[in-house]
Amino acid sequence: MKIRHSAAMLTLALGLMAGTAHAAVSPSELVGPVTDYKIYVTENLDELVKDTKAFTDAVKAGDLAKAKALYGASRVHYEGIEPIAELFSDLDGSIDSRADDHEKKEQDPGFTGFHRIEYGLFVTGSTDGLTPFADKLMSDVLDLQKRVAGLTFPPEKVVGGAAALLEEVASSKISGEEDRYAHTDLFDFQANIDGAKKIFELFRPLIEKSDKAFVKKVAANFATVDKILAKYKTADGYEYYDKVTEADRKALSGPVNTLAEDLSKMRGKLGLN
Amino acid sequence: MASSLPPAANPPSAKWLKLALVGALALMVIGAALFYYASEKARDAKLAQTGNEVAVTINATSCDPNDLTVPAGRTVFRIVNKSERAVEWEILDGVMVLEERENIAPGISQTLTAKLAAGTYEITCGLLSNPRGTLHVTPSANAESSRPAPVAFIGPVAEYRFFLAMQASGLTKAVQAFADAVKAGDLAKAQALYVPTRTIYSQIKPVADSFADLDNAIDAYADYFEKKEQDPGFSGFHRLEYGLFAQKSTSGLGPVAGKLVADAAALQTRLRSLDVAPEKLADGASRLMARSAAAAVTGNDERYSHTDLADFEAYVAGSRKIADLLRPISAKAAPQLSASIDQNLDTVTKTLETLKQAGGFPPYDQVSEADRKKLGDAMQGLAAGLGKLNAAIGLE
Amino acid sequence: MIEREKNHDRLDAPASPDRRRVLAGLGLAGGVMVSGLAQAATTADTDAHVTDAPISDHMREAQPFHGLHQAGIVTARPANGMIATFDVLATTKEDLVRLFKTLNERIVFLTTGGLPPQLDPRYPPSDSGILGPVVVPDNLTMTVSLGSSMFDDRFGLKNFKPARLSRMTGSPNDALEPELCHGDISVQICSNTADVNIHALRDLVKNMPDLLYLRWKQEGSVPVMPRKPGAPAESARNFLGFRDGSANPNSSDAALMDEIVWVQPGKDEPAWTHYGSYQAVRIIRNFVERWDRTPLHEQQQIIGRVKATGAPFHGKTEHDVPDYASDPEGKATPVDAHIRLANPRTAQTQKNLILRRPFNYSNGVSKAGQLEMGLLFICYQADLEKGFITVQKRLDGEPLEEYLKPVGGGFFFTLPGVRDKKDYLGRPLLAAAGLA
Repeated sequence: MKIRHSAAMLTLALGLMAGTAHAAVSPSELVGPVTDYKIYVTENLDELVKDTKAFTDAVKAGDLAKAKALYGASRVHYEGIEPIAELFSDLDGSIDSRADDHEKKEQDPGFTGFHRIEYGLFVTGSTDGLTPFADKLMSDVLDLQKRVAGLTFPPEKVVGGAAALLEEVASSKISGEEDRYAHTDLFDFQANIDGAKKIFELFRPLIEKSDKAFVKKVAANFATVDKILAKYKTADGYEYYDKVTEADRKALSGPVNTLAEDLSKMRGKLGLN
Repeated sequence: MASSLPPAANPPSAKWLKLALVGALALMVIGAALFYYASEKARDAKLAQTGNEVAVTINATSCDPNDLTVPAGRTVFRIVNKSERAVEWEILDGVMVLEERENIAPGISQTLTAKLAAGTYEITCGLLSNPRGTLHVTPSANAESSRPAPVAFIGPVAEYRFFLAMQASGLTKAVQAFADAVKAGDLAKAQALYVPTRTIYSQIKPVADSFADLDNAIDAYADYFEKKEQDPGFSGFHRLEYGLFAQKSTSGLGPVAGKLVADAAALQTRLRSLDVAPEKLADGASRLMARSAAAAVTGNDERYSHTDLADFEAYVAGSRKIADLLRPISAKAAPQLSASIDQNLDTVTKTLETLKQAGGFPPYDQVSEADRKKLGDAMQGLAAGLGKLNAAIGLE
Repeated sequence: MIEREKNHDRLDAPASPDRRRVLAGLGLAGGVMVSGLAQAATTADTDAHVTDAPISDHMREAQPFHGLHQAGIVTARPANGMIATFDVLATTKEDLVRLFKTLNERIVFLTTGGLPPQLDPRYPPSDSGILGPVVVPDNLTMTVSLGSSMFDDRFGLKNFKPARLSRMTGSPNDALEPELCHGDISVQICSNTADVNIHALRDLVKNMPDLLYLRWKQEGSVPVMPRKPGAPAESARNFLGFRDGSANPNSSDAALMDEIVWVQPGKDEPAWTHYGSYQAVRIIRNFVERWDRTPLHEQQQIIGRVKATGAPFHGKTEHDVPDYASDPEGKATPVDAHIRLANPRTAQTQKNLILRRPFNYSNGVSKAGQLEMGLLFICYQADLEKGFITVQKRLDGEPLEEYLKPVGGGFFFTLPGVRDKKDYLGRPLLAAAGLA
């Protein structure tokens, strides 16, 4: 056989991938979903404030058992709206940074927020000395609520948020690195997925007009992830992440990475930079 | 409210009604034709002046020319449909529609005026399956070319709709409490709740008044009704104001308050799905400030409670919200105008502040004519600034 | 029968007629590009900037994808190689077929080169772009093999497992790390440039996230050498400083390859395996600090060759054949020397010959501050049991073990070649199992 760099081969290769979307979207059509997303975020923040209050109150009251029980659920409303919360990097750092983000890890004075309290509750096994962190977390969350209220949501951040949440899942939730002390990663996992799904659902009608197959595929992958996660639901939350079988971790990786790939095309499909 | 409709003296016969309708229709058609003719003529004249019309012919399978180059700024496209089916013509930026003309019948030509920023765009050419043409827009010195991309308005308009949703939800809650006080016969409490409840509506008035029926039911003045205060159609805030502050009684107001609750709920539902055009923001604010400027002189707005100043303050707050949302765009596209609007806002705010007394705003009937004029002028200045905003940021 | 033109000229050899065709096919002006080594701008080039890209004249050379056998086995080993193994995420037979077809499509594109689809800039680009806007083949080969786990209950392939395919088990000296072992599919990616291999891997990861789960990967390289006109070709050195590959069977001898490398009809193997091969992969860490502190004489005794030349103790050049028959007691070449155990050169051990295609790897630093480097050992054979497994058993307990620690790898069956554009990777297996 001859080695040939034939045009036919190139054409074959070129034909493999989807080109640009074809139906047009009017910018005004994006206004409604962006509005609805801000309402969604605002409602989540209201819940976050309530949950954080209950959680930090338990920490400050020295009620270790209650604080530990509340930890997993208290973060859910933060994880779901991370694309917006992350826009305020100072608050994201003080609310949700992990020990690795700090030079002296757990001992670093800059290590605050949910994971610092998680470390105290689940590793040190005590609420001792956590009151200042609890107070700071509460005030940071209230600050976040205030700042988000005054924020005009950039549409590309809203649409891009779906992909951003999946990147979060793909890089740190599949591996179980997020809540390394409490192993409550599945709360966050589901919250990230729910947050991404919300964005997808808001813009779904606009994309459906031009690309039914895309919408169908994305919806099916969300359903697969939900189905696997549902296996680990308990009466008051989720199993610890170490209970997730190797087979299920792998089974999650396919739809999660495919969602990350597909959702990364949403901005393009909606004409946003 | 239990009064019945006034009996019609002589109901017109169906036949007469028909005749009158036909006549009116005929007049309308003639009028429309005349208007169309006149405007076409005006347009032709304008085109002849500028001479920058670009013709695009849509054939069965392609555009001719298929590759266009125009300078940035305003361009008039004349789209000639030589295909055998009705087509739409669009200028696309990626998947975004920048401009479009829909339903151009076969054999017909239509024009489309577009203000385009430099860049490369696509044009549709009839059937979706037809290859698209290319539109190159070259940079030009034309000031008009600094039109922001349409996507720039998504955020501000969405945020305004969020604001509407939040205010409307606050309004239904406040109106409920207000109505409860009225129905409970608690005159003092009802009077105290009047201003904080009403001013929520005032803040969203630039867009909320899009619904004529609800605006009339919620915020109409007695003047608009044949029998003024006694008219059974007179309802809403001012009807309650009249009862609470002029008649100093809650008697008979229960049904009015109940209707206001229902109307506020209806407004909340409708606002939730209202598609707000970006030009509506500055337009609505400007219109409202102009009307308020006039009302500042007459003091007729809150004629029973004399709480006009609180109302003006709410109007200004609503306008400020709009100016804030558009500022990222206007500061770039029209920095001078943007700065002058900010100054107008400050002037109005300061003028209101100086009128404030220890216990809040004084009753408006105690405000001097000079102060009223000063306030009116400030609001007029703001109205004028806001009135120029849309054109300056490429919204017309 | 389709015959693939063999392309075993070395990297630094003049362009073969095949390559001329490649170059002409790519429309390159200047026709034949005969060149020396790929080399960076020389120091004499005063206009050069430090960040100027190194220059290579081989970027547009392509290896044929279609043929009786897969490329990348008897193909001359280029400077850079990688093994990446994946677990299959497909759960249905339809998705399994889609997996092989997609893999085939990607490999056709990547090994041919060309322009990736151009998308609206508001989309993520279709290609990582790390090779620039046009993908160059750069002699890329991607060789696909299946692990024994593919033949479990998932897809009904159980009855179609190659007769000698097993799951790699640890030898006494191994310290296998589970996260570096096995896999449903291995892809050997080789080309002139490490970045071309990485580009190919990223392409698979990007285009097949729902089908493949990356399990582990190991990259490696072999050192390039200056051209020595008139002198016989030399084997590349490994990280122990010895020539590796001196006794490799001649990959240009088609009959020999049929005997040693390719599964042939007429044996007790399923028909779909014909013209495929068995692949054994081992990540063998070398304790190089310790090796470098070992006297030269001892190093040479352990290996069985002269370090500088690669020659056996009986000969002058690396291609000289050691004469063990006249040295039964190991006075010249110790009986436990690596090369003597690996290939005793007896008539009886001829059936144990394997075709080696290893690369040197260098990863990072151990917790103890030692270099994590060694050999990415890859070999091919028609019979895994007679080949690698037997050879490894002979090597168990060799003195060299003190300096080695195999930490990963796996056994795989390399699929037969893709005959033409209508064919695709894995089709014979899928057809045999009634899936395609």
